[in-house]
Amino acid sequence: MSETLTGSQILCQALLEQGVEVLFGYPGGAIMPFYHALPEYPGLRHVLVRHEQAAAHAADGYARARGQAGVCVATSGPGATNLVTGLATAHMDSTPVVAITGQVSRAMIGRDAFQETDIIGITQPITKHNRLVEQVDELEEAVEEAFFVAQDGRPGPVLLDIPKDVQNAKAEWAGGRSDSRTVQSSGGSGGSPARVSGIEVAARLIADAQRPLIMAGHGILLAGAHHELLALAERTGIPVITTLLGISCFPESHPLHLGMPGMHGEVHVNRAIQQADLIIGLGLRFDDRVTGNLAAFARGAKIIHVDLDPSEIGKNVPVTVGLVGDVRETLHAMLRSVSPRHCEDWRAEIAGFVRPRQESFRGGLSPELILESIEQESDGRCTIVSDVGQHQMWVAKLFRYQRPNSHITSGGLGTMGFAVPAAMGVTLARPDEPVWAISGDGGFQMNMQEIATMVQERIPVKMAIFNNGYLGMVRQWQQFFHGRRYSATPIWSPDYVRLAEAYGIRGWRVESSDQLMPAVREASVEPGPVLLEFMIEQEANVFPMIPPGGSLSEPIEREPAPPLVPA
Amino acid sequence: VTGAQAVSVLLEDRLTTLNRAVGLIRRRNFPVRSLAVGPTGTPGLSRLTIMIHSDSDTADRAVQHLQKIVGVHAAVAFPAGEGVARELALVKVRAGRDRYSELLDVVQLYNASVVDDSPDAMIVELSGSEAFVLSCIRALERFGVVEIARSGTIALGSGQDIHSGTLP
Repeated sequence: MSETLTGSQILCQALLEQGVEVLFGYPGGAIMPFYHALPEYPGLRHVLVRHEQAAAHAADGYARARGQAGVCVATSGPGATNLVTGLATAHMDSTPVVAITGQVSRAMIGRDAFQETDIIGITQPITKHNRLVEQVDELEEAVEEAFFVAQDGRPGPVLLDIPKDVQNAKAEWAGGRSDSRTVQSSGGSGGSPARVSGIEVAARLIADAQRPLIMAGHGILLAGAHHELLALAERTGIPVITTLLGISCFPESHPLHLGMPGMHGEVHVNRAIQQADLIIGLGLRFDDRVTGNLAAFARGAKIIHVDLDPSEIGKNVPVTVGLVGDVRETLHAMLRSVSPRHCEDWRAEIAGFVRPRQESFRGGLSPELILESIEQESDGRCTIVSDVGQHQMWVAKLFRYQRPNSHITSGGLGTMGFAVPAAMGVTLARPDEPVWAISGDGGFQMNMQEIATMVQERIPVKMAIFNNGYLGMVRQWQQFFHGRRYSATPIWSPDYVRLAEAYGIRGWRVESSDQLMPAVREASVEPGPVLLEFMIEQEANVFPMIPPGGSLSEPIEREPAPPLVPA
Repeated sequence: VTGAQAVSVLLEDRLTTLNRAVGLIRRRNFPVRSLAVGPTGTPGLSRLTIMIHSDSDTADRAVQHLQKIVGVHAAVAFPAGEGVARELALVKVRAGRDRYSELLDVVQLYNASVVDDSPDAMIVELSGSEAFVLSCIRALERFGVVEIARSGTIALGSGQDIHSGTLP
């Protein structure tokens, strides 16, 4: 049975075919035909954001939490350009997002029409793929391709740019996906394990190593390989390091869990890397924030690198064995070859590297206490979405994640303003558990307009602000490396409790530890969105810290002496 | 070993795909010497030849990145010396009547040909490796070169094996 539909109706049908339930978007001139069709498809819930950047982050958060593509929609011109930061964020962290933008009518393209921008050109370097849909006949196939490419192999964002007249044009809708799609597989060999010969070499290296380490990244979560990771660690006794985006892929209560490496990694974690004779890198890309100075990184270690994307193998660190393949399948294959062993001596050595945690605060209300109270109140059953900066590091290091994919953050791009809108997407993907959006006072003010979206759409995000009156991470760098010249880092905030009231939601300001539990408890049981402001020590620092460009062997563990002459 | 590496790419003959491939080369900062693109024997497919000056690992990395682009059908890299690499140049030379026969000697020496002979200038067509073309241009400079158009290098690997640079 076939019927004649408009391009917009076909788009809605094709989205439903892909299993889409939620769209985050904002209407405008060039996307109006789509919005005209949308009410005919009640299976597509539209969330009206207050800024298109938030639509892209929300789609990203939804994708990360749900493991399938999130969708955002914007009009041409400014609507489309506002998506850019969100798409770049998704691109850097390999998350599947499909962005749909309206474009001016075909006859107007290239003539600097009202609200025309070359969004295909603009987003080319920050999408996995993008496409201008030039004919209504190709629309259905273009949507299928977009979802396939976004989710196949190493995931990433895909943008479809659809001219207004294509949305209005009519075509036959055959009612269903075409039988045989042959979209080129992209971003690595999805689903297949790495070659057997490499796995045997890897197994031998694992058997022979004296000081082996596992470094696990985002790939473990993307591939759903946490069981296999746990099995490998327990079979071999090899300690597990989780990168910022790998956090929560390995239970933090497990005796083999070591912690986060890199710029703000604990001293014993980085020292273990520097002392290791074998590093098994699983689904990570050896980012510069992880390795520090590359020339001095793990000089005594052979490296086994497992990644779906062949271009990642050897990109930053030279590898002894590169295994290209799905990390879950590859771990399955490795588990067949790897013999049981233990690493008691090596683990005892690492235990000797452990330093007592440096106090990251003065005053009564510490990040430790705040995160402990959230963990206690939710019994660990919540998803934490963090923003970017000092609080991000505290949230990464101080909360004890037990469940896979319970920590979501913008790692590669480091996008301030991510947490609040991303948490909206996470909440819609996980309606049955509390979702906390934890931001600093800087990042929160970048996208706090989205409180209105949460109220209108009844999205119960628990927003927390670590307020220190500074752009804290930049201030910390200024304190350590720029002679305490706090240039443009003091930041004023509105009265957040009254702001919450203005939006019709409840807000709390927590200034001391005795106010902490009652406020977190009340916020936890409140059904709608809530806002908690935590007044933390103004000049708290994140320790330890590897100076930019420094090696993992040279951590800064305390504040530098103040300069003799004030800057 | 650092030297001229040919990166040969079969891709859809659409400007957006070409743009994506070239944009990647720019963004990843590969040391490009020349780019040449044209049709292949297969309708709908173009061949893009990117000459880069690097070691073979860098060229292989370019291939891995290019292979991820939707619309790129295949890509391969090989040292220019392990295949045939050629470019075409058109060189417009001032042709004073007094040195005409001397100029024709140079043209002959380089196996080049005169393809346009106007009263005040002639166009010399030549082809060969990049070094050969540069050498010929230097020889023509004695007569006064007005302008030059070069195609950029195109290349094919020897044999039929993908490891020697042959694309499927």
